[in-house]
Amino acid sequence: MLIVDSHLDLAFNAIQINRDITQPAAIVRTHDHQSSLYRWGSATVTFPELRKGRVGIVFGTVMSRIDHTDRFGRTGMYSQAQCYGVGHGHYSFYKAMEREGVLKFIHNAEDLDAMVAAWQNPSADTPFGLVLAMESADPILDPDHVSEWYDRGLRIVSISHYGNNTYAQGTDTEGGLLPRGKPLLDALKASGIIVDLTHTTDQGFWEILDYYDGPVAASHHNCRALVPGQRQLTDEMIKAIVERNGVIGAAFDVWMLDPDWKRGVLGCDQTTKATLETVVDHIDHIVQLVGSANHCGIGTDLDGGYGQEQSPRDLNTIADLQKLPSLFKKRGYKDEDISKILSNNWINFLKKTWSR
Amino acid sequence: MGTLIIDGHLDMGFNALYNRRDLTETIQSLREREDSLKNLLGPYETDPGTVTVSLPELRRGHIGIMLATIMCRVQVPWPGKPNCHNAVRTQATAYARGQSHLAYYQALEREGEVAWIKTLEDLESSVAAWENPTPETPVGLILSMESADPILGPDQVAQWWEDGLRAVGITHFGANSYGHGTGAPGGLYPTAYPLLDAFADTNMIIDLTHAADTAFWQILDYWEGPVHASHCNCRALVPGQRHLSDEMIKALCERGGVMGMVFVESMLSPQWVWDDPRTHCPNATRAMKAVVEHVDHVCQLTGNTDHVAIGTDLDGGFGRELAPTDMDTVNDLQKFLNILRERGYSEEDVAKIAHGNLLRLFRNAWSK
Repeated sequence: MLIVDSHLDLAFNAIQINRDITQPAAIVRTHDHQSSLYRWGSATVTFPELRKGRVGIVFGTVMSRIDHTDRFGRTGMYSQAQCYGVGHGHYSFYKAMEREGVLKFIHNAEDLDAMVAAWQNPSADTPFGLVLAMESADPILDPDHVSEWYDRGLRIVSISHYGNNTYAQGTDTEGGLLPRGKPLLDALKASGIIVDLTHTTDQGFWEILDYYDGPVAASHHNCRALVPGQRQLTDEMIKAIVERNGVIGAAFDVWMLDPDWKRGVLGCDQTTKATLETVVDHIDHIVQLVGSANHCGIGTDLDGGYGQEQSPRDLNTIADLQKLPSLFKKRGYKDEDISKILSNNWINFLKKTWSR
Repeated sequence: MGTLIIDGHLDMGFNALYNRRDLTETIQSLREREDSLKNLLGPYETDPGTVTVSLPELRRGHIGIMLATIMCRVQVPWPGKPNCHNAVRTQATAYARGQSHLAYYQALEREGEVAWIKTLEDLESSVAAWENPTPETPVGLILSMESADPILGPDQVAQWWEDGLRAVGITHFGANSYGHGTGAPGGLYPTAYPLLDAFADTNMIIDLTHAADTAFWQILDYWEGPVHASHCNCRALVPGQRHLSDEMIKALCERGGVMGMVFVESMLSPQWVWDDPRTHCPNATRAMKAVVEHVDHVCQLTGNTDHVAIGTDLDGGFGRELAPTDMDTVNDLQKFLNILRERGYSEEDVAKIAHGNLLRLFRNAWSK
């Protein structure tokens, strides 16, 4: 069954962690130096693993932000010029992969249809479909820079990430939109770019929803009712996104799944109770809350600065996403709803957004 | 007022993106910040050393034009330094990191911090601006590339040229996608020749720095266009493959090439053996007058002052600790010019070394 993953930091892994993600995860694990392994965890996402898991369409991120504290990831920077450099590097990695035939950018509904069709009966070298996403808008130097990014393929942007970013305050801080945020939202609206509400502060979440009347979604986000903390969506937030016909991708970082997970302690130094069932719990919570399976998706964020050790404990690589259908089945989900959650909700959302 | 200096080799993009330095800040503010981070270095973290180059400091030192690099290469990670110095596993990643350097420079241009030099006209207008600079005069930027890995194939050369790339070193450390560089024993791979052919359709300058010995001669033999050695010292004074032998210097200069003097202990001290880490001292022992010995050597060898330039490589994987002992920041290059004057170099010679020879190289290459 085709799976769409709405949040993967593929380029970050290739460039900042220096992984050859065209290799199987087992090979990448032998490449990684011990220090890398300890800091970033064991690799779970590479193109061969995505293929095994039939994760045929991914949202691949451009990820850089103003953030003075990010000494190891080297994506948090001091100036927007630096952020643009890092962000353009991420974009360029995807272009290099496109050149090698590994993936194809999805710019519009036609591209998307073709990709969905190709993944009905994929061959061993069917290219992956890539929707270009941006996590924190800092690489957009100004509102007048939005159209350039749109032309490159950018289709979904979160305004902030961690810390005190350029256009809005991000996760772990207070406050909301900053003065330059609204002109940016205007420009995003003009281009028809989806605003990703993941990594907003609570105040920022409501300010953006209030100001931005274009398409919204939450690319990798779980439920605060199950796991407390600012990083998760309250029931009211979930309802608000659903009212706007958005989709919410379930995140696989156990910090967002396991209330006992100790933040700040590396994954290699602790053991989680969370499993793939826990992910299903979060999705099921949303389904029960809103009364349909029309707004849930998968946005794993696997290898997003952590590895297997900080993922559901029965997941070895992203190929294990194919265990999800049977878990949903066990809970009484119909096939149609399962394929909505695994791919069709995102596909329909993108098509609706792009046909306007 | 200082003399205009052109620095033929600065890894600005690498410092901005890998070492996370906002190069629009003053040296003082960068140093204060980095001092406070030093005690947080993990066991496998590479200390980038004390910063010596930022844009305000270049302006202060009248270094009005620089060759700023795209720097990333395919190389097996160095033992103990898995993430060192922009060595990556695949050419795709090298392209991406190279593009990130390009984009950083484009953002600096947008902010008016640098003036991009792509044509003769751009060059002359930067030179003119530095006749009477203000504290805001942008630093002229000529884009160069150290290791050609970020060029994915000959078909990408035209785009890189259009983006401003004007000088390319084919190799760097070890064996990359196109051939053998410093520390490697061989020459060019077959992939290098179509790349050189594509460069021949532009006015690209080939930088022979970091070519392994065999590769050096293979390039000179095959490539008919302009050449230089952006940052190289003399093997006669400091042994090792990283430096140019007298024969190499002669061959380079016969082709109208220019050789940029490097300001780092590892290139100035005969005690420093590249392949033997036990000889690598943590602090410099040589002063800027050691650089003058290399200047003298090249001038004596060629019988003129037409082929020496400056290519400091400051902050190129090391900091103030390994720069000459009497150098605090890149601004001290003006002191270096005074040392040349004290050694009896005429004002005309000093001007050639500071900027004239590199200007001639570019004027010749671009007027075709």
